[in-house]
Amino acid sequence: MQHRFANINAWTVGAVIIIILLFLPNLTIVSGLFTPSNENWEHMKEFVLWGFVKNSLILTAATAFFTIMIGLSLAWLIAQYDFPMRRFLKWALILPLSIPPFIGAYTYHGMLSHTGIIQTTLRDTFGVTLNPAFFDIMNLPGAIFIYTMFLFPYVYSITQVYLSQQSASLIESTRILGKGPWKTFFQVVLPISRISIIAGASLVVLEVLNDYGVVKYYGVQTFTTAIFQTWFGLGDIESSIKLAASLMGFVILILMIEKLLRGRRQYSYSTTKVRPLPLITLSGWKAAAATGYGFIILSLAFFIPVAQLIDWTVLTFGTIPMGEFMSYVKNSVFVAGLSASLIIIFALIVGNFARMVRGRLGKLLPRLTVLGYSIPGAVIAVAVVTAFIGLDRFLAPVYVWAGFSTTLVLSVSIVLLVTAYIIRFFAIGYNSIETGYDKIGTNFRDASRTLGLGVTKTFFKVDMPMMKGAIISGFILVFIDVLKEIPLTLILRPFNFDTLSTKAFQYASDEKIMEASQASLLIVGISALAIVFFYKFLERELD
Amino acid sequence: MFVAIEDVCFSYSNAETKALDNFTLKIEKGEVISILGRSGSGKSTVLRLLAGLEKPEKGRLVIQDEVLFDNKTFLQPEKRGIGMVFQDYALFPHLTVAENILFGLFRMKKAEKKKRLQEVLELVELQDFGKRYPHQLSGGQQQRVAIARAVAPNPHLILLDEPFSNLDAELQGKIREDLRDILKKANITSIFVTHDEKDAHILADRIVRLKDGRIDFVGRPCDMLDTYRQPGMQQPSTKGFVEKNLIGIN
Ligand SMILES: Nc1ncnc2c1ncn2[C@@H]1O[C@H](COP(=O)(O)OP(=O)(O)OP(=O)(O)O)[C@@H](O)[C@H]1O
Ligand SMILES: [Mg+2]
Repeated sequence: MQHRFANINAWTVGAVIIIILLFLPNLTIVSGLFTPSNENWEHMKEFVLWGFVKNSLILTAATAFFTIMIGLSLAWLIAQYDFPMRRFLKWALILPLSIPPFIGAYTYHGMLSHTGIIQTTLRDTFGVTLNPAFFDIMNLPGAIFIYTMFLFPYVYSITQVYLSQQSASLIESTRILGKGPWKTFFQVVLPISRISIIAGASLVVLEVLNDYGVVKYYGVQTFTTAIFQTWFGLGDIESSIKLAASLMGFVILILMIEKLLRGRRQYSYSTTKVRPLPLITLSGWKAAAATGYGFIILSLAFFIPVAQLIDWTVLTFGTIPMGEFMSYVKNSVFVAGLSASLIIIFALIVGNFARMVRGRLGKLLPRLTVLGYSIPGAVIAVAVVTAFIGLDRFLAPVYVWAGFSTTLVLSVSIVLLVTAYIIRFFAIGYNSIETGYDKIGTNFRDASRTLGLGVTKTFFKVDMPMMKGAIISGFILVFIDVLKEIPLTLILRPFNFDTLSTKAFQYASDEKIMEASQASLLIVGISALAIVFFYKFLERELD
Repeated sequence: MFVAIEDVCFSYSNAETKALDNFTLKIEKGEVISILGRSGSGKSTVLRLLAGLEKPEKGRLVIQDEVLFDNKTFLQPEKRGIGMVFQDYALFPHLTVAENILFGLFRMKKAEKKKRLQEVLELVELQDFGKRYPHQLSGGQQQRVAIARAVAPNPHLILLDEPFSNLDAELQGKIREDLRDILKKANITSIFVTHDEKDAHILADRIVRLKDGRIDFVGRPCDMLDTYRQPGMQQPSTKGFVEKNLIGIN
């Protein structure tokens, strides 16, 4: 007798194993909440906890506010008005995402420092010496500025696409009713773009909570820095687990607020054919103001730091031996390529499982794995290390039997780092793959099966070739994210294993800002290329 | 009896009501059956159940003495030898016409494959189109490729889901004739779904009419003739139509 689900089983087993592996380490964090607390923890709770909770709150709230202001105003300008350079600005305003905030942070610090371009120009050319405190960016407001500049594109891009897709009649009818542009903005545009603003802003908030590079470099105490300090400074992993658990609680709270704010209401087009919004052409000073505004933001968030990085790279070129530099490149490409490939393979398995199963559980289970992206790197680092040390302890007899000289094998290997990447970035790859599956639907799969091919053969002959676009874009997105990643790489890499981003961070931390530029520029260059690629790719897809 | 469908019940997992309720039908070899019914009446569901793309709650399907499903067997779609032409054709966009047709012929030897490909291309009169990709074909040509692909592996039974719905009126007429010729020439037992009564009258040996997941009429097209008004009338209002036929059955 043929078993009812013979084919489905292999995929189900694979998918369930992947989902558990992705989710399990986070459970170690939750379990950490219930271990008895030690002195450190009591001390921290009493004296310092509130300090970095406050900092984290201020950072996230202020950054969310400013990214919404800048992102939404730019999105509105681009979506509704025509002015010189609009077409260029439309996609160029996404470019700041190619600069990881910590690179932006040390670049701005370098530019504003005593020996940096701004103070030296003022001194040497204009003979002006200002109070150095005026140029001090290494503080909380400085960190807010850095986050705003390099993260606002999340709000901008999501909102801009959303506004451009809105039916013209919706906004036109407001105008016909005699409302001016400001009233239109506040009474129509703001409410209808609420969902996209919330989506963009929550990405920003999660990025801020995840960040380690900026706050560490600027000396601002947050949840993330506290986790690492307790762990390495005090050697107290139990307390750092407790901190991580609190941070996770904080993130879950934010996700819940997001859900609540989004509400159940979905704004969707009531007509199937959406007429794009006709642009209003600006002229005179209004046009100049619009173009100027776009360029000021773009310069602060992209052109100026990139120019500075290029300048430093030219100045220091050759001081880092080529062989050494190439080994960082090789390491970066290796871990990013490996993690991205594994993530895509896992995502394909989980995605195929998700569309085979019916019912709620099948839809919910894959969603669980996506949580990883909301969990800050510091938490994942703690979770993965705890899990791997446990695993090594469990495997110790095997190591002894195999003649290893140590019983810490997996927890000091590259496996640890790659596992952490997979947990953190699985959602990025999965979203892309899931969209791919959604786009091809189930009809081609069904057709293939009625032609005699089983689920697995169908997957290789129909699904995979048809999802080439989704696979490539998912791979590139994960690759770039791993390339830029800082806390996990810094903490979990094996001894003597350096990547472009860890090296850039180390040079910058040692005040060798110029030496850091070469690796940084390469990261920014690759990311910017990917963004341009996606923009063109998306444009073609939309046609 | 060639095909026997007995007491099939089914509901979608997220739905309250039954999509199909006690569906029973026996089909002779070579017979062309039409399933007629309004949108949402369960027509596609019948085909999906027969093809094995959905799992019935209860019921039995036997084709040529082989049990495809009953309360302890469920044969996967790829093991059933049932061909299907999808509502939107589902031609693989990354494969050429020839590759689409060869897709289901993987069990044959090379020479055999080539011969069969030529045969079915001739059957649907598309000999010169083998190298084209689906998007380079007209709607009618795509439909014929979909039929050729489904017919090629010699299925016991072929299912067609609204084969004419994507075509303009003129093309519909032409394709309808073509389909009838193709089905009869190949002597394939077939079930096709339509919401257009005219299709059913021209093509079918027997008509099954569905309403809310239940059969409310089975019979020859001529038995339904009184409701068939004039050529060109697309969809007679179902209300009067159903009453007459219910009376007809009683
Ligand atoms: N995947 C699904 N999940 C839940 N309900 C479904 C699903 N597919 C169909 N249904 C429901 O089952 C019923 C029968 O659907 P079916 O697709 O068989 O109708 P149909 O007669 O083919 O309609 P049409 O002429 O519009 O194609 C409908 O009420 C439909 O809403
Ligand atoms: Mg249908």
